[in-house]
Amino acid sequence: MQKEKILIVDDSEMNRSILADMLGDEFDISEAANGVEAISLLQKHSAEYSLVLLDIVMPEMDGFDVLAVMKRCGWIEEVPVIMVSAETASEQIERAYELGATDFIMRPFDASIVHRRVVNTMLLYAKQKKLVSIVEEQIYEKEQNSSLMVDILSHIVEFRNGESGRHIQHVRTLTDLLLHKLCEVTDRYPLSEVDISVISMASALHDIGKIGIDDKILNKPGRLTDEEFAVMKTHSAIGAQMLEDLPVHKNNPIVIRAYEICRWHHERFDGKGYPDGLKGDEIPISAQVVALADVYDALTSERVYKKAIPHEEAIDMILQGKCGAFNPVLLDCLAQNATSVKNSLTLDVSKASRRLEIRSFADAVLHSKSGGASERTLRLLDYERMKHNFFAAMTEEIQFEYSAGPDILKLSPWGANKLGVPENIVSPDKNMALSALLGEGWWQRMGDLLKTTTPDKPECSREEQLLLGGEYRWYSIIVRAIWSDDNPPQITGAIGKAVDIHDAKTKINELREKSIRDPLTGLLNRAGVREQIEPRIKGFPDHKYAFAIFDIDFFKHANDEHGHLFGDKVLCYIAQRLNHSIRQSDLCARIGGDEFLIFFEYDNDIHPIIARIFKALCGEIDSFEVRISMGVSEMHEEGEEYEELFHRADQALYCSKRAGRAQYHLYDDSMKDILTDREPDTETADGAADRRE
Amino acid sequence: MTLQECFAALGGNYDDVMGRLRSERLVQKFVLKFLDDGSYALLLSSLEAGNGEEAFRAAHTIKGMCQNLGFTRLGNSSAALTEALRGGDGRFDPALLEQVKEDYQVTAKAVETFKASLGV
Repeated sequence: MQKEKILIVDDSEMNRSILADMLGDEFDISEAANGVEAISLLQKHSAEYSLVLLDIVMPEMDGFDVLAVMKRCGWIEEVPVIMVSAETASEQIERAYELGATDFIMRPFDASIVHRRVVNTMLLYAKQKKLVSIVEEQIYEKEQNSSLMVDILSHIVEFRNGESGRHIQHVRTLTDLLLHKLCEVTDRYPLSEVDISVISMASALHDIGKIGIDDKILNKPGRLTDEEFAVMKTHSAIGAQMLEDLPVHKNNPIVIRAYEICRWHHERFDGKGYPDGLKGDEIPISAQVVALADVYDALTSERVYKKAIPHEEAIDMILQGKCGAFNPVLLDCLAQNATSVKNSLTLDVSKASRRLEIRSFADAVLHSKSGGASERTLRLLDYERMKHNFFAAMTEEIQFEYSAGPDILKLSPWGANKLGVPENIVSPDKNMALSALLGEGWWQRMGDLLKTTTPDKPECSREEQLLLGGEYRWYSIIVRAIWSDDNPPQITGAIGKAVDIHDAKTKINELREKSIRDPLTGLLNRAGVREQIEPRIKGFPDHKYAFAIFDIDFFKHANDEHGHLFGDKVLCYIAQRLNHSIRQSDLCARIGGDEFLIFFEYDNDIHPIIARIFKALCGEIDSFEVRISMGVSEMHEEGEEYEELFHRADQALYCSKRAGRAQYHLYDDSMKDILTDREPDTETADGAADRRE
Repeated sequence: MTLQECFAALGGNYDDVMGRLRSERLVQKFVLKFLDDGSYALLLSSLEAGNGEEAFRAAHTIKGMCQNLGFTRLGNSSAALTEALRGGDGRFDPALLEQVKEDYQVTAKAVETFKASLGV
């Protein structure tokens, strides 16, 4: 026989070891050194453990916190907990019991007492589990029996009416569906699962009063006369009377609901129905729902006196009030679930789903709450987990899983090792190691990212820099948000992985950087600077920007006389001076052989700025006197293009050269007809230099 | 040195622990483990670092361990220190710590002597 599993949670290795030695012969022992490890193990295997031995004082997460989580997740109902502690204060013990602990063992341990209490607790729980399944079985049996009787009885009525034979089944299915939907949208009618099930079953009896109606009227093919209709209308009161006259079972919930339904399923919400002319919610909700289900199915079925009407048309007729007056909330339910209504009648309600309902039924009876999963589901889950863990271990990826309640981030073993953090992290937003890895504000960033998802499109991703081993590396974080089935849906967690994209991204950045820079001086090139200027002009059209273009006077001579290496030296010298004489926010570039561009912003008077820059760029290198000619253009009005500014600066530069070089000019309208020989942005750097000198 | 003599030397209750654990082999195993437990070192270092909460947990662990092993002497002084540290601001009567230090030395020495006499 397989050994029962026990989880021992204690931060002291020796204490765990003593307990393990006491119990190890008979039980299969797992150990956890703190609350976080315990929760993680329980999350994976709560169904497998028969008992938890839990210490109170522990680092990370103490025993009370573990109990609280076990309670919230419903594990405590499956797995009994015995507290083991040196705590002797009665309020501590009291608190443990309140949180759901089954028993309390004080240190020092006595081997025989520990053993006895463990065995007793497990026996008690095993008995309870068995009881649950017995009750479940009995409810199922009982419901099957009464359902059978009700079906036979209602079928007799149907048989006599000459109805399709499916009508009762349809009304019952629709009643069940509408009641469930109704409870989702409003809490005006507090109905439990049990109530809904009883009403649905009782709905089968809605027309039993027709037993008391004459055959000739009941099965008359044509329209009923007023007198005949008056007789027909008595069936609701007759049915109710029959139930009222029952010698026994009068207080049975099914009989009570059936009475409501029989008597009042022909009442109208506006008070114009029969037999009592009840109005609005004076009509029991059971009768209101059955009335609607009855009308829908009558419309869509063939009868002796009429053909079947298509689903869509029937819904329209009902919503437009052509078939009676109904509760508007109920009509909303019908309208919003029209497709489910149609499908529910074409699909057979399988036995399996009934069985599941019963299960939650039994849970509800025993714990007065719903929920819980079957053993089979848990086994399937375990299998999926095993599969997942296997593949996760193979892929060498940083995979993670986050759940909001309990607030835990779980990393794949490989990922945790790679990042140097534990596999399970409680309250990850407050975790220092993660903050160090991802940088401040990462929790907020991930939260914002998740908020961009929807239940239909739950995937998202972003790039983050991770500080790994003292080095920043780029990772792409790909996440799938977990949305709940609630209405409205909520994010309850996320799964995802982090992929190292550092090398690829660095390569792209390097190539990009290369493509926009001049290799000799390290300044931006012409294309690069244009790329940065244009968004500024367009983005801030009201700012005052200026262009300055200059070249080095007699640069060709320097090249010819001292060689190209010297020429390069001069260019680097200029680049260096340039970098020193502009502000961080300004831009400069080498746009041709010996041609440079400066782009800057100014506030008031531009002249002192130009004068300063001009002066800074003149100097001497190896007895070669560096002088420059410069042309400057300002932005005159909003919306001016790069091309225009560039061209005007070029015209001003031309002006400086014509006037004898080694000077600068600010563009004015007198220069507007100067022809420069520059083709806009197409010529080669060397070509320009040669032509100019 | 016998196990019984070791208990006498460290101020423990041999009969009590034998009554609970039922096996001399187990008692010996856990007594030897006492030397490997890091709680005492953790207690001193966390007190030094001013981490009252961690110090409380360490003292608490020592207390629990002593109770399990029947180490009455160190158990009593560590229990007193535990209560002084519980939920507090890290302030306590230094005499309590001195007592724990003294008792720990006595206990550790007795266990070491016992271990040496086993020739392991």
